[in-house]
Amino acid sequence: MNFIDYLETNSDRILFLLLQHVQVVLIAVGIATVVSVAIAIGTERAPRLRSASLSVTGTILTIPSFALFGLMIPLFGLGVAPTILALTVYAVFPILRNTVTGLEGVDGNVVDAARGMGMGPWRRLGRVRLPLAWPVILNGIRVATIMVVAIAAIGAAVQGPGLGQLIFRGLSRTGGANALNEALSGVVGVVAVALILDVIFVLIARLTTPRGLHV
Amino acid sequence: MSEPTAPRDVTTEPMIRLVEVAKKYPGTDTDAVAPLSMEIGRGEFVVLVGPSGCGKTTTLRMINRLVEPTGGEIWIDGRNVTNVDPDDLRRGIGYVIQQVGLIPHMSIEQNIGLVPKMLGWDKARIAARVEELLELVGLDPAAYRSRYPRQLSGGQQQRVGVARALAADPPVMLMDEPFGAIDPITRDRLQDEFLALQQRIRKTIVFVTHDIDEALRLGDRIAIFAEGSRLAQFATPLEILTTPADDFVRSFIGEGAAIRRLSLLRVGDIDPARFHPAGEAGVTAKPDETVAAVLERMLNGAADRVEVEGLGQLSVQDMLLATGREAAPR
Repeated sequence: MNFIDYLETNSDRILFLLLQHVQVVLIAVGIATVVSVAIAIGTERAPRLRSASLSVTGTILTIPSFALFGLMIPLFGLGVAPTILALTVYAVFPILRNTVTGLEGVDGNVVDAARGMGMGPWRRLGRVRLPLAWPVILNGIRVATIMVVAIAAIGAAVQGPGLGQLIFRGLSRTGGANALNEALSGVVGVVAVALILDVIFVLIARLTTPRGLHV
Repeated sequence: MSEPTAPRDVTTEPMIRLVEVAKKYPGTDTDAVAPLSMEIGRGEFVVLVGPSGCGKTTTLRMINRLVEPTGGEIWIDGRNVTNVDPDDLRRGIGYVIQQVGLIPHMSIEQNIGLVPKMLGWDKARIAARVEELLELVGLDPAAYRSRYPRQLSGGQQQRVGVARALAADPPVMLMDEPFGAIDPITRDRLQDEFLALQQRIRKTIVFVTHDIDEALRLGDRIAIFAEGSRLAQFATPLEILTTPADDFVRSFIGEGAAIRRLSLLRVGDIDPARFHPAGEAGVTAKPDETVAAVLERMLNGAADRVEVEGLGQLSVQDMLLATGREAAPR
């Protein structure tokens, strides 16, 4: 059976795993976005805490994903929960980094004028600083998403959901019938998900960047 | 807050009163602003001028408490505002800065409507006010209201900055070198327009600049700050040029004080003893024209005498001598 035939015969299962993969990635990135923006805002007046959280989340990125998933088994068992948790932990750094950069990049004169007009700290954040930092934050979310799409495949090591299941099963029975096709379909699926999400992010960036910023 | 149309001395209470206001940053020995007292009347245009680091901007920013004073009291319109909610205070005070600080992702209309919106005005009232203000600062509302700040030139942006500060019709405006980043030709135009605007709206304005010429041109009164935030002199432009308080003021106004006085002194303010009885004269002038403007016409018309309406005649020499040192403003 060649690869195309394999995809046709197993399209239901592959599509199911692909959607599951997307779902897990988006949940993890969603949680990571909330956490990162909260950390960035919460540490604004505590520069030491801020650089500490950047170092810690940055260091986490260096932990090999296979090891991190494995280390989570004793704490959270197998399945969806440890997968999402690990992916969230990985996704925090790029989003946090970009949120900090984005907020720092907002023109101080604009914020000063807003303050001088009587906009309080929360109004300045919500109406001025976050909208102006948004393109940079969104780029962080995009980088995190693409990165996590690849890492999510390793989640199958802890029986997590997604395309990793195809890769791990295929690799574990190397030489068996369709083993290579199975692993390959997982890999191709992961690449396809990454590409599709990337395109979607370009669209989101176009739609959500405030008009006044790209005139 | 209504537009003050009444004459200036509507009440003896000054619009802004600083009482021993001081600022000291933690961890420093010297005061950023040494205890400073100042009274600014209703509808008065006061310019704070001085070399950089003299505390003029800090003083300005203490009035709307963007910089919290570490001592003293601030009174605005008879109310002690030293400890009121700073955001409420700022919504009632117009604020214009050199870099304009328009919010780039909001349209011109949204920028101007920011303070009215926070004050809870309804949409129709905000839209009407935006239109009125754009016309007031010389921008066509139809063309500009839905543009974004980046689509405007520096001069146009600062017009919008002024309109935004006027939006909720605050009695007080604070302006920090508003024309400092604008090319000289546009700056001249904006200064003229702003003076004409001020004639109509009569706001109480505190204006910071490091440019003594701008100060002399715009201010009803000028506060000259020396190093160490010492208030060297607080007087009208003519007084400052005629009787500088000390050597610092003298060196700060620089050369040509006498020549500059020509464009500040009005012929109607010249000592009546200098006037001659009416007679033949090549040029006529109104009392509120400046000596410089009248001299210009006399030189162009090769006339040696001018007839000032209702006052009598002056010769070129009379006018030059009147502008001399003894011509203290009345």
